Amino acid sequence: MVIPWRGIPLAEIIRKVEPTSHARYVAFETVYRPEEMPGQKRRVLEWPYVEGLRLDEAMNPLSFLAVGLYGKDLLNQNGAPFRLVVPWKYGFKGIKSIVKIKFVRSQPPTTWNISAPKEYGFYANVNPDVDHPRWSQKNERRIGEFFRRKTLMFNGYADQVASLYSGLDLRANY
Amino acid sequence: MKQVRWEKRVLRPLVFLAALSPFFDLVWRAVDQSLSANPIKEITEVTGIWTLRFLVITLAVTPLRDLTGWSQIGTFRRMLGLFAFFYGFLHFTTYVALDQYFALEDIFSDVVKRPFITVGFASFLLMIPLALTSPNRVARRIGGRRWKALHRTVYAVALGGVFHYLWLVKADTSRPLLYGAILMSLLLFRIWSYFRSGRNIAGQVSNGGVNEGVAKESLDAKLD
Repeated sequence: MVIPWRGIPLAEIIRKVEPTSHARYVAFETVYRPEEMPGQKRRVLEWPYVEGLRLDEAMNPLSFLAVGLYGKDLLNQNGAPFRLVVPWKYGFKGIKSIVKIKFVRSQPPTTWNISAPKEYGFYANVNPDVDHPRWSQKNERRIGEFFRRKTLMFNGYADQVASLYSGLDLRANY
Repeated sequence: MKQVRWEKRVLRPLVFLAALSPFFDLVWRAVDQSLSANPIKEITEVTGIWTLRFLVITLAVTPLRDLTGWSQIGTFRRMLGLFAFFYGFLHFTTYVALDQYFALEDIFSDVVKRPFITVGFASFLLMIPLALTSPNRVARRIGGRRWKALHRTVYAVALGGVFHYLWLVKADTSRPLLYGAILMSLLLFRIWSYFRSGRNIAGQVSNGGVNEGVAKESLDAKLD
């Protein structure tokens, strides 16, 4: 899926709030409002939804907070007013309707990892070489295309982000 | 007699059309281009869930007949079972032709490596002999008792369908568990009615074994 997002670079926001040198990770939290979001009435996942990035990932110029798509403001169901987009983790980390951003020392909990730790790790990089335990992640179908295409390492952004993970075993840190 | 005619002439065509309506709905939405942003996924999901639904509906026929005493409902069972196969066939074909576009290597590794696909594929394969042996002519040739034993695999097919569904959901298992619960209660009903009237059933089975040249009309009743 290729979506024309509009947003604000996350790095800009982070620079503005000047986290201290103790900050190593960024933790995000979604609004918990079951009256408005009926899915939250059932404990399919642990609410509120939480997500996290390493500070250097969050500071990468590709990471941004989306406020709109297709030239319009974000709709509620797409995660208004602010939604995280991390292009090389596409399909993951897209936490919606963010109400809290915290700078923390140690790796914050993430909802899918809590829900199924064997299936979802903290990093969630797009990686065709590491299968999800239940299905392949080798190829994908773009919305609007009939044929599947090969999924690219880091969703095609390897040149921009691979250096963030040098020395990290991506099979163990999925 | 009059009631039989009503069921045959009116109810049967209505059930037939109703059973086709999910298919017509898909065709209509394909023409209308309203099959969601991801049409292939939508077709896969719709044909998949209707396969499971028709398996459950088919398995509910006999308990329903026993509970209500409405004997004619039994004659719908084969048609409903064939609709389960129809949707299962569409589901399988969608996966092979549309989703994977005949990438046989990928399909093979899916079947071997992904438990939810393994069990779904196996369930589909098990449905084929059931569909092939559904005509009266073939059923008579096989013989009541063997036919009946063969068609008991429908329980395995339905159970496979439930696990296929359960193992593919990401977090919300409530739907597959609901189908599992319905299937379990249908199974329990049969076990219960088997023990309740154990002698009757034993009598019927031995009868069916001896009397294989059953008349066409009574075959459906015979092959419970």
